[in-house]
Amino acid sequence: MRALVNNRLALFGAVGVVAVGIAVALIVVSVVGSGDKKQSAPTVPTATARGTTVPAKVPGAAAAAGLFRGIPQRLNQLGNASAPVTMIEFADLQCPFCRDYTLNALPAIVKEYVRPGKVKLVFGGISFIGPDSETALRAVYAAGLQNRLWNFADLLYRNQGEENSGWVTDGLLRAVGRSIPGLDVDAMMAARQSEEVDAAIAAMRQQAQNAQVDSTPTFFAGKTGGTLQQVAVNALTPEAFRPTLDALTK
Amino acid sequence: MTAARLRAAIAVLALAGIAVTAYLVYARYTGTRLACTTGGCETVQHSKYAKLAGIPVAVLGLAAYVAVLLSSLSARVEAAAIGAAIALAGLAFAVYLIVIQVAVIDAICQWCLASDGILFLLALVCAERLRRLSKTATERQA
Repeated sequence: MRALVNNRLALFGAVGVVAVGIAVALIVVSVVGSGDKKQSAPTVPTATARGTTVPAKVPGAAAAAGLFRGIPQRLNQLGNASAPVTMIEFADLQCPFCRDYTLNALPAIVKEYVRPGKVKLVFGGISFIGPDSETALRAVYAAGLQNRLWNFADLLYRNQGEENSGWVTDGLLRAVGRSIPGLDVDAMMAARQSEEVDAAIAAMRQQAQNAQVDSTPTFFAGKTGGTLQQVAVNALTPEAFRPTLDALTK
Repeated sequence: MTAARLRAAIAVLALAGIAVTAYLVYARYTGTRLACTTGGCETVQHSKYAKLAGIPVAVLGLAAYVAVLLSSLSARVEAAAIGAAIALAGLAFAVYLIVIQVAVIDAICQWCLASDGILFLLALVCAERLRRLSKTATERQA
């Protein structure tokens, strides 16, 4: 060390080498640690407990990431927290009509109303179709604890299986999680039975009961902080929602 | 700026870094929601990049700031070298994390950015301190 102190060039060189070495080591550990420990090859199918196979990642990942990119999420909310209008969708993740809404109407609603900060959306996840609904809902809310509920729900809809066929396997949930950049899949899986998820599901179930929701999807919209009114839609297309949202946001 | 002022500047910056990272550590271990105007703090803090070998990055940052603060307490060139190495390594890692926030996680944590700004200044001041001390040591030897 004394020799280094007496040689400026060597001292700066040593400091630089040590700094770069530490930084490279940290980055390597971060990159390796953020990879999926259970599946290294992204395109190799993995066997599930039910004997079926699911890919390491699911189709639609890029589209879902693009749809929600840059939009704030907080648990089950999407959009600017202070948006003047709120719309809530009560949905069951096994419901094919909820899927149709998500794939056909939601992208335009996000683009025209949520991204500009006019409307914030609330995912009112409830489960009444069957066991797969509850399994999916718990995973979706667990992703919500990492503010990725909307990406997770979108990808589940894109890969929706037949009702109550046991399609919501741990393998599928992990594959969906792996398809969402930055999501800690292990933490999401572990949080499915957490008190936070229990509380979120119970709160939404109560809200659905209070609103007398008996089918999905059911939509309510109104001024944020005020009473939301049911949105009567005759089709699950963007056109069906525009009159209500335009009137509320004008 | 005198050597004493440089050390004082390092100490102040390190204390600011300690305050920011201590808040992040406190929020993580108590489950407190972070004050955040970008809407992305929780997303970043709960992402898989928020831990390094199981240790929260905020804890590592806190340890680094404490180490740099300790280095400022000594007037020796060795202490300045250690402080500069830690600050420069931290800055390089911070740049990597900014890229991850923007390109991968798609969310920005304002507290992380605050720490990054402090690290940038800290690296500059630590490097300047090392430059001056090493110059003095070399002149003394000559």
